[in-house]
Amino acid sequence: MIKKYQSAVSLLLFVAPAFICYLVFLLIPTYGGMYYSLTDWNGLNRTYSFVGLGNFVEALRDDRYFTDSIWFTLKYVLFMVVLQNAFALLFAVFIESRKRLKTFFRTIFFMPNMISVIISAFMWTFVFSQVLPQLAVKTGLTFLDQSWIGDPKYSFFSILAVSLWNGVGYMMIIYMAGLQGVPEQVKEAAMIDGATPLQTFFKVTLPMITHAITICLFMTLNSAFKVFEVVYGLTGGGPGRSTQVMALNIYEEAFSNNFRYGYASAKAIILFLMVLIITVIQVNVLKKREVEA
Amino acid sequence: MKRRKYGNLAITLFLAVCAVYAVFPIYMAVVNSFKTQGEMLKSVLTLPVKLHFENYSNAFHEINMLQSALNTVVVTVIGIAGIIVCASLAGYKLSRTPGKLSQFIFFLFIASMLVPFHSIMIPLTRMAKNLGFQGTTWGLAFIYIGLGVNMAVFLYHGFVKSVPRELEESARMDGCGELQTFARIIFPLLLPITVTIAILDLLWIWNDFLLPLLMLTNVERYTLILSTSMLFGEYNNDWSLILSSLVLTAIPVVIFYAFFQKYIMQGITEGAVKG
Repeated sequence: MIKKYQSAVSLLLFVAPAFICYLVFLLIPTYGGMYYSLTDWNGLNRTYSFVGLGNFVEALRDDRYFTDSIWFTLKYVLFMVVLQNAFALLFAVFIESRKRLKTFFRTIFFMPNMISVIISAFMWTFVFSQVLPQLAVKTGLTFLDQSWIGDPKYSFFSILAVSLWNGVGYMMIIYMAGLQGVPEQVKEAAMIDGATPLQTFFKVTLPMITHAITICLFMTLNSAFKVFEVVYGLTGGGPGRSTQVMALNIYEEAFSNNFRYGYASAKAIILFLMVLIITVIQVNVLKKREVEA
Repeated sequence: MKRRKYGNLAITLFLAVCAVYAVFPIYMAVVNSFKTQGEMLKSVLTLPVKLHFENYSNAFHEINMLQSALNTVVVTVIGIAGIIVCASLAGYKLSRTPGKLSQFIFFLFIASMLVPFHSIMIPLTRMAKNLGFQGTTWGLAFIYIGLGVNMAVFLYHGFVKSVPRELEESARMDGCGELQTFARIIFPLLLPITVTIAILDLLWIWNDFLLPLLMLTNVERYTLILSTSMLFGEYNNDWSLILSSLVLTAIPVVIFYAFFQKYIMQGITEGAVKG
């Protein structure tokens, strides 16, 4: 009995430093956010009252800017999940097949990932606003002379271009590690049996790296929903609010417009629930396939 | 055979084009950071006629380079050290202790791994203000410990399973205390995963923007990224100044990348596979 008690105490002592930090800065804020989301607290007044699910109803029914930001975010997530993984996998396969230039290409392709997202967004702002217009004039490639940041038609693609520039390298590294785990003999055996390189890739290699695919899809989904810095640095959500993403909408609601903390918390909970639901679905679907393969 | 050779060439060519895309903005930023505003307007694509180093001395001064870099280093070092010490203790003990209590605590740690930062930033800001953490360098570092510890506990927890128990049992036999056994015997064995965690957290904390933006109010405490971002907002048409400060901000990271590329890539793969 004493032994058991002792072991529980020693467990708690070892865990305490980590748990206290975690409790104060992550766990309590998580529950705090859920609590605030049910109130009309504005961050300034000490008093506030319960409004039940009123904030959620308002956010989803009356707040056009917020619902627009949901659609914009979903569109971004869809494009990112597909393009980021397609490019990363393509690069990984191509680079793995190089002999002398392998390290060179890997170094170059991963480098943008080292640079902070917000700094990348500023660099690209320069490219979009100063470099491309001049390039268009000097080379005659007039299609380059667009209002890449100022026109909602193009700014979505500018945001995408910068996100991919910054993010593809990370996924590429994970895919490359996955590809290195596929034994050479298996691929050779398929080739000897008469499979074309394309068939070998889709029928042999791809099923053997499903684990890497699960991880990369999970990471892309997760980070794409939380997109903030690229948009903040590149367009600031504009022109108007045409490129506002959910995280930016929440940020502005809470910190730069009207300090409606309670209302912004409700939006933050909606973002969390969306991430949670989609991740759970994705992991379950892919885990099943992984077992089969 | 010939067809295969052409295919190979096409792939290399394709990769080369994409490599140009990867390098282009960085190259443009570096080249133009040495020009005057007027030269940029005339010829943004060419190499600078004369290297205007004064852009850099201006930027160095404007972003308060030494102070900002020092702040960033302090936050990053305290943050990483804190995460490693706290999480290795907790992850080790949780992994070694059987029972409901241990399982429950571990579950609490990993249950929140999906919570987006944006979902907690409002109450977190509030909490930091109430505790007097807002606006201080060490306060910011502590918040990073709180936010980063769950992932690290998870990674340590998994890694400890592969460490044999015999070593610590014999150390205990020889009269080593529990904490001493951990510090002397176990912690050195956890080095591979410690390196992984350190690298992942370094990239995260060093490059983070939103948390410093919310927490730091005093210019003297700004991190490098935050100083540069504020400069961008303030002088948004003075590209000579902005580009040179962007380059200054990126230099430490690029140097780090050049030296530790292998470890960074290993860290990312390890973190991803285990995480």
